[in-house]
Amino acid sequence: MQVDAIAVELRPRPMWEASDLGVRLVQAHARSLWRTWLPLYLVFALLALATVEVSPWLPPVLIFWLKPWLDRSILFVLSRAVFGQATGFADLWAAKGSVWGGQLITTLLWRRFSPWRAFTQPIYQLEGQRGTARRQRRKQLLRQQRGAALGMQIAFSCITTSLTFGTLALALWFAPEELRGDVLNWMAGRGQDDSVLASLCTAGVYAAVVALLEPFYVAAGFAMYLNRRVQLEAWDIEQEFRRAF
Amino acid sequence: MQHVSAEHQAVVSLDTLYTAETPEGIALSLRPAGAAPRALAYLVDLGVRFGVFMVLSIAAIPLGGMGQGLLLVSYFLLEWFYPVFFELTGSGATPGKRIFGLQVVMDSGLPVTPAAAITRNLLRAADFFPFLYASGLLTMLLRRDFKRLGDLAAGTLVVYDDTVALHGQLPDAPATAPVRPLAPREQAAIVAWAGRAKRLTPARLDELAQLARSVTPGQGGDATGRLLGVAQWLVGNRDTGGRR
Repeated sequence: MQVDAIAVELRPRPMWEASDLGVRLVQAHARSLWRTWLPLYLVFALLALATVEVSPWLPPVLIFWLKPWLDRSILFVLSRAVFGQATGFADLWAAKGSVWGGQLITTLLWRRFSPWRAFTQPIYQLEGQRGTARRQRRKQLLRQQRGAALGMQIAFSCITTSLTFGTLALALWFAPEELRGDVLNWMAGRGQDDSVLASLCTAGVYAAVVALLEPFYVAAGFAMYLNRRVQLEAWDIEQEFRRAF
Repeated sequence: MQHVSAEHQAVVSLDTLYTAETPEGIALSLRPAGAAPRALAYLVDLGVRFGVFMVLSIAAIPLGGMGQGLLLVSYFLLEWFYPVFFELTGSGATPGKRIFGLQVVMDSGLPVTPAAAITRNLLRAADFFPFLYASGLLTMLLRRDFKRLGDLAAGTLVVYDDTVALHGQLPDAPATAPVRPLAPREQAAIVAWAGRAKRLTPARLDELAQLARSVTPGQGGDATGRLLGVAQWLVGNRDTGGRR
């Protein structure tokens, strides 16, 4: 890792401030991020939404379950963005073997339930240790940071909830007043007909919210990870030294 | 040194800082806080308000109809003036914000004024629209200074008021002058390096010291020791330097 080439200001921050740096990182590299991750996500989300025919609750569950796998593509873009590099879908395609294929089982099984998924993801995806070394590394990184890492995850699930219900509520606001009750019933799947279409709409709203929020969440965890390396390994000082001397 | 500062500017470094200018023309760097800690701080405050309301409801039971009325008044006050009250006290933060190290200030860096505190809290209705603060959260995620609509209207900013110190005591070393005059930024980096001596492994400390070899006098051997000497010289402990 060439610390001097990092195009992000490293300094000791409270963990919360680091998570905000992740938000700034997404804002600054929005083009790269959505240009790369949206094509992949759209294909995936359309396939997931198609399963509404099987069961009305399946699309959101599929999207939710596969988020750790989708996050790997986002972290790939972010890991280049901290060096100021732009990324296109072609770059992701060239690295598809390691990004999409790596650690498939753990990503889809127990790491789905990790309460600090985004914070530890860079260890798995970028550091390249295995076995005991990786477990120790993870433990070292998490030491005294579990609260912040968990809190960040809770905060982003609250934001997801807020935006999902906010969008649905917006539809209600636009419905004619006397029809509001009917629209609400329809959304909740209690309508007379078209219940598949209603599930498709609510699942589509959730899918759209994930498309918007997932990069912010992954970036917040990644920036907290970088902040942890400032604490543990003085990356900020290395950055200053390499620039100055 | 000119060359060095030009190089610093060439590196476009991403940061969250918000620059406020005082009437005297001094640029202040504020550290605005974003959606994640503020959402959690809100949840804590919601819990506190709920707890207070529960206690009041139990206290109002024996008062009958008047208790009902008082309860409604207290609900109104809790909803709209709980944040105003706490933001206007010394710390400029509700209990929830204080837990997460946050503070409300004017975007000029001054303490928040009563009018601004009322404005930003009345405008929570706009941030709440359409439901569950969706528009407030969205503006916090999309704006560089993480302001919500109420902050925009009132000209306020939520900032971090706590800092992180990784710095400890500088280890003892005989003071030595660096081989060339150092820019302030370089001096700060060397002193910060020495201050972290206790946190880093000796190997990592030495790895970093090797990077700064060009400014320490002498060749080979103990890079850490010599850079620690330079750090002592920089912080002004120069009376022990005679030994060298």
